[in-house]
Order: sequence, then structure tokens, then C-alpha cells
Amino acid sequence: MRPSLRLELAAALAVGILLAAVPLLIPGNITLLNLGILTFLYVAQGVAWNILGGFAGYVSFGYAAFFGLGAYTTALLWLAGWSPVLTYPVAGLVAAAFSLLVGAPTLRLIGPYFSIATIGVGEAMRILMLNLDKITGGASGLNLPTVVPSKTWFYFVALICAAIAYAVAAWIRGARFGLGLTALRLDLEAAESLGVRTTLFKNLAHIVSAALVGTCGGVYATYLQYVHPDTVFSFTHSISLVLIALIGGLGTVWGPVLGAAVFFVVQDYLQTSYPSFHLLVYGLLLLLIILFEPGGMAGLAGRLVARLRHASTGSPAAAPAPHAEHGGAPMPRTETERPGTKRTT
Amino acid sequence: MFTTQNLVSVAIAALLTAGLYAVMSYGLAIIYGVMKVINVSNAGFLMLGAFMTLMYSQWWHLDPVAGAVLNLLPFFGAGWLVYKLLVRRVVNSRSARPIASLLLLFALWLVIQNVALAIWGSEDQSIITAYTYKSLIVGGFRLPLTRLIVFAVALLALSLLHFVLGHTYIGKALRATVQDPQAALLVGIDTERISALAFGLGTALAGFAGGLLTLLFSFTPDFGGPFQLKSFTIIVLGGLENFAGVTVGAAILALAESFAVLFMRASLQNVIAYGLLVVALIVMPGGVAQLWSRIRS
Amino acid sequence: MTTALTLEGITKRFGGLAALQDVTVQIASGDITGLIGPNGAGKTTLFSIIAGKTRPTVGRVVCFDRDITGWSAHAVCRLVVCTTHQVVRPFGELTVLENVRVGASFGASGRLGGRTADEEAGDILTFVGLAHRRDSLASALTLAQRKRLEIARALATRPSVLLLDEVLAGLTPAEIQQALELVRQIRARGITIVMIEHVMRAVMDLSDRVLVLNYGRLIADGSPAVVANNPQVIEAYLGETISEN
Repeated sequence: MRPSLRLELAAALAVGILLAAVPLLIPGNITLLNLGILTFLYVAQGVAWNILGGFAGYVSFGYAAFFGLGAYTTALLWLAGWSPVLTYPVAGLVAAAFSLLVGAPTLRLIGPYFSIATIGVGEAMRILMLNLDKITGGASGLNLPTVVPSKTWFYFVALICAAIAYAVAAWIRGARFGLGLTALRLDLEAAESLGVRTTLFKNLAHIVSAALVGTCGGVYATYLQYVHPDTVFSFTHSISLVLIALIGGLGTVWGPVLGAAVFFVVQDYLQTSYPSFHLLVYGLLLLLIILFEPGGMAGLAGRLVARLRHASTGSPAAAPAPHAEHGGAPMPRTETERPGTKRTT
Repeated sequence: MFTTQNLVSVAIAALLTAGLYAVMSYGLAIIYGVMKVINVSNAGFLMLGAFMTLMYSQWWHLDPVAGAVLNLLPFFGAGWLVYKLLVRRVVNSRSARPIASLLLLFALWLVIQNVALAIWGSEDQSIITAYTYKSLIVGGFRLPLTRLIVFAVALLALSLLHFVLGHTYIGKALRATVQDPQAALLVGIDTERISALAFGLGTALAGFAGGLLTLLFSFTPDFGGPFQLKSFTIIVLGGLENFAGVTVGAAILALAESFAVLFMRASLQNVIAYGLLVVALIVMPGGVAQLWSRIRS
Repeated sequence: MTTALTLEGITKRFGGLAALQDVTVQIASGDITGLIGPNGAGKTTLFSIIAGKTRPTVGRVVCFDRDITGWSAHAVCRLVVCTTHQVVRPFGELTVLENVRVGASFGASGRLGGRTADEEAGDILTFVGLAHRRDSLASALTLAQRKRLEIARALATRPSVLLLDEVLAGLTPAEIQQALELVRQIRARGITIVMIEHVMRAVMDLSDRVLVLNYGRLIADGSPAVVANNPQVIEAYLGETISEN
């Protein structure tokens, strides 16, 4: 295993342990617990989304569909008498099954078209669920049993979700699967011609990330004790995941973690003053990122590290700046081709 | 419910809406054709067009149609600027990923939408004119005056557009760039300028359509979204680089939506557009134009 | 002599246009076969069909007695065949080593005989002469180096048949000599090679056998000397007026 990867995992473990210790050190702090629960759930989803969006390069604007499906699966099973914890894996499975259904046809589309299609699918799901009132409670939502575990319990469950998502993403990163995803992102045809089963890999990435997001939906439903199509299937939720991953840095495992943290700090800070102001801030942030630092915060960090290393060793730039494994910036600069190599035959 | 009377009136209503749909989507088609960029911020400008028209009517009692026309120039300028300052940086490198421009314009949309929310709040707005509730009775059918006016104006705009694209130098240069950017460069067309022009024109059309929209619908800063997806459905249906196809696509969507309301809930109406979009993208990405050329050959 | 590749009646139509017409040929294992012809003759299309990127409208592709017609590109690669591209397309964001590792991990999967993909990739890089650049980003290489990388990637898939599409295009004469030497060494490893080329002298020097395509048809098939003097071939390249002499 590469030394940088080892370092990353060690750091992640340390952070995880630290976070787990918080409720034990500062017990009963409801605000902190709430913040933690929501942040961890968003971390988990952002990291999961990134498996398809960052690693494989298929940017989906419709992940709320999986979140919502997971939430409703848990809600309905819970109302039917299941213990909530048992519903979580089922929520993940339902989301995964749906992702296979919609993914198989849509993943055949190239980049932007896939993205547009996902907007359509996501919104269609929301409207459909809103109209299936007999099952989903429609516009009034579903109220769930009030007997719930404690906030501390949710804190740890959410942390576990984040940890699992992180572990899965990290494993994929280091494995052959991750290399294949990166290859197909950079050049689908070339990857195919080198033996990468691109269709299989794309769909697998989709299913895995959808399952994770669906599970988070289930946890969210039990935490909130209420589900409504406009909250769990909302386009805003889908956008949040895209933003978290982009701001944090596509293509790295820890980027979305950072992105989720930033996302939440901003949202919490602005929530009180202007409810929709945070979206404006994200929009501006996203603009800046795409124009100047496509690698997001992770990319920025990477460049800073490279500069520091450069400055300390004083070596000429023979080896180019270190990048996150299998590439950092999702939007490479031009490669110039020598004239005369135009395709003719 | 399925009387001939009903069906015909639904068909007419659909056709009248199609005119607006076509104008709304033309801008998207032009920008896509010239730059292969999907302008997701189109929805934002559509919405801004509606709100500016609202402002004109509040400040100067300007009729929405006049407001729509007034939007043309400033929105053209806005589009030009957006291209020069933002889009150009992300689109120029030959191997730049198309997703980058999509995300950039998406970010722009977010900004526009939320600035509008901050300025105007989230309540429903609408413009009432002297003729808002009037209709014309033609051959036993009641046709709302607003729809007729919008249709007429849209038709005029489309004809003008068709003329400009077909018979002016700029129009031809634009179409040439759509067909073959490399060849256009060789022939001496400044494709850079054309791109900026296309973006300006597309945005101008969005602002114009937004103004017209105020005659038919009430609006909030959020309402751009469904229209954006409908526009995209329309250009995919019509064939992505086919300008004539836009009108065909608009007609198809409008008809599908109007007839669907006959046997499903109105709240599900947008699902038609979304469904058609996904199906069209997967099954016939070349749209109606592709089907047409297949039938011919 | 084993037959590495058999093409039977390969025809490819796009709409009303026939890009390839009834191409039938057998390529012997271990040969270097040149594939030449004027622009637009259908050479790259033929490669696409063999490699599994497109299906032929009519015809079969048989590789070492297995019918691979219509197999997907990745399956074809994992079997035995690998193609390089006319316009080189390295994975720019990955290092040279990682690029080759893709080929070794996937194309050659299961056939590495206990070696890791990294070891294999390292060896291949030494073989093609890029070992000193193994940690550079692929986007930082010169054109000649990228061509070598393209070949290295293909070699990492442990192909039995290698299809090279204009590997010499854009190279200086010195670079061409180096590339030719590399091709010879690849053949020495027992790999069957088919090369599309426009650099005539190189192809004639190197090939055991030359195939000539014109307007989608195979118009000549034989040793370089025979093909070079074939009047049909000369006409195809230079036009009809010459034959009036």
C-alpha cells in the first residue's frame, strides 16, 4: 500500500476516534449531537456520491431519488412493525435496485446528457411520490412512531455510516476497481480497448453509492420521525451532494469529507439570517472552483503541499506536482497534439 | 370528456403553448449548436426575464409584450458577458470536459436564482393586464386572448429568427459554425465572435420568452427549473443541432402534455416532460430529425 | 504456420456508403503485416472491427480459431488483441506507470502468472525505454514518448496480436528508426503485428507481407516487392493519368 494512502487512512482513523469520543467527553450537548448527526450523514452521502461522480466521472443530479427511496422504505417498514435498525440494510438494497433500473439505460449516455437525464429522473420521482398519496402520505408526509433511540445513539449510527462510506470509497480507490473507474473517466474508449469492463464498472459504482445513500435516507427518516416527498426527494438535496463533492474535491476520498464540513458550517451560520443564502454562497463557490481550482479544496491542498515540498527540497520540476492517487483535478488542461496527426483513414 | 369539441380545444391550446415553448427553447438550441454547451442557466435568464417584465409593468406600466421586447438588448449583453467572462475559459481547450461548462452554468443558475430570491422573495407574482381574462370566440371555441397574443408574438419572433439565420451573413456564419467549426474557421469566420454572439442571442431569447411567460403563468424565482427541462426535452426531441426541429419538438411536447391532462392528474404533468426527456435521450438521441432522415434513406 | 487472424468477407456499411467491401485475408502468426492504402480506404475501420469497437455488417473475424465477431472491445482485448490509436490517447492525469498498469491489470488479468501488475508494468516500461519516466504524468511526455507509452500499454495486456495504427506518424526520422527497432523487438517476442502506415519506406522495409486497401476493397496482398510494383496499387495512390503512359 502506498505510504500516502497509509497516512490518509491513519489520519481518518484518528479523526474517527476523536469524533466518537466527543459525546463521551461533552455529554448531553444536543446542538453538538444534532450537528454531528447531520454532518456525518452528509459526509457519508457525499463520499458515496463521489464514487460515481468523482471517480467514474458521471455527475448525477438525481441522488435524492435514492435518499428518498431509502427514507420511505424505512418509514413504511417501521410503520409495519419492523425494528428500525433492520430496515437500514433493506433501505440500501431498495435504493440499489432502483439505481440498477435507472442506471442501466442512463449510464450509456455521455457526461452532460447523463447529468441532464438524472435531473429528469430525480424530479420525476419526487412528483410521482407526491402523487402516490395512499402509500407515501403524499403532500402531508408520513409521521413515524415516537419511540426512538436517543440522540447519542443516532450520533454513533451516523458516524458509523460515514465510516463505512469512507472505508468503501478508500478501498475502491486502492483497488483495481478504482483504477478502472479512473481509466474509464479519463477515456472510455481507450479503457475499453485495454480490457476494462466499462459498463459493468459504471453500474457497480452506481449501485454501491446508491446503496450507501439509501441507507443514509433510512437513518434520516428514523431520526426526523417524519418523511415528506419534498424534503427527501428534493432537488436541493441532490444539488447538495454535488456541491459537497465538488467543493471538497472530486476524485479524492477525503475531499467530500471536507466539503461536507464546509457545507455545514456555511449552512448553519447562514441558516438564521437568510434561509436560501447558503445556496447563493455555494453557487459562487462553485463558480470560483470551476474557474480557478477544479480540484476543489483537495486540489488546492494538493497544490499547496507540492509548493511546500518544492520549496523545501529546491529540486527542479522534473517530477510534476504530486496528485491524489489516480488523478485529482477532474477537468484536465489541453494536451497539444502535433499537427499532421489528423484522423483520415 | 373525450368529445371532439374537447379534443380539438385541447389541441388548439397545445399548439398555442407550443409557440412559446419553441421561442423558449430556441436559445438553448442555438447555444448548443454553436458551442456544444448545454446552457443550464437558461432557466435563470428565463426567470429574470419574467421578473424584469414585472418591474417594467410596475415602474412604467409597460405591457408584458413590450417588456419582453425591451428585454432583448440587455439580455443579449448579459449573455455576451457571461460568455466572455465565464464560459470561454472553460470551453476553449479542445479536450476540456463538457461537464465543466455544464457545472459552471449550473453554478450561475444557482447564483441567479438565489439573488432573485433575495431581491423578490418567494411569493407568486403575476401581471394582470386589461386583457388577461378576455377570450375570443372562434368557431365555437373559446381562445384566451393571452394565449393568442403570445402565440402571435412567438410566431413573429420565430419567423424573424428564421429569416436572420437563413438570409443574413451572421445567420449563415452561425449555421456554418454549427455544422463544422473547423471548416468555418478556415473560411474566415470568427468562431470566437460567433460563440459570443450565439450566447448573447440565446440569452436574449430566454429573456424575451420569460417576458411572454408572464402573460400565461404566475411565477416565482424557482419556476425556471421545469421550463429548463422542458426546453431540453424539446431540443432533444427535435434533434440537437436542428433548428427547424425545435418547433417540431415544441409541438410534440405541448401536445403530449395537453392530452395527458385528459387522463391523468394535472400535478403529474411535468412528469411527461421528464419522461419524454429520458426516453428521447436513450432511444432517439438524434431526435425527430434522425428519424426523419432514417425514413428518407 | 498457424493463422493468427482470419477475416472472412468483412463488409461494413454506414448508411448507403460501403466503408469496407468483402475483405478476406489470413494473417500468419508471428508475421509483421503492413496495411496500406490511400486516405479513406477503410484501414482504421478494419482495425475497429477486429478490435471489437464496431460490428461488421457482414463477415466474420476469427482469431486463433475463435470466432470473435461482435465481441465487445474489452473482451477482445482480454483475449489476445490490442490496438493502439492513430491519435494517441494516454490517460493524461495518470503517471506513465499507472497508464501501463491499466493494461496489465485488466487486459492481461489472470494471465500474469503470479506477477503483480506493477512488476509487469515496470518490465514493459524498461522494454520500450520509458523506465526513466515512469513517475511522470503522461501529459508531460513528448509525442514520440507518448507513442511508446501507447505501445507499452498495449503490450501490458499480453496480446498475441498487436494492431498498430500509424505509430510512426509525426515522428522525426531518428524517432522512426527507434520505433521500427521496437517493433522488431516486439515481433521477436512472438507477437503478431499488423501495422497501418503511411510512411512507405518503413512499411516496405519492415513488413513480411503487405495488404493494400482502396475504397474499402483489398486490391493487393503479397510481399512488399510484389505489391510495390502492382499497377493497381500505383494507380490507387497516384491516380489514373499515370497509367495512360
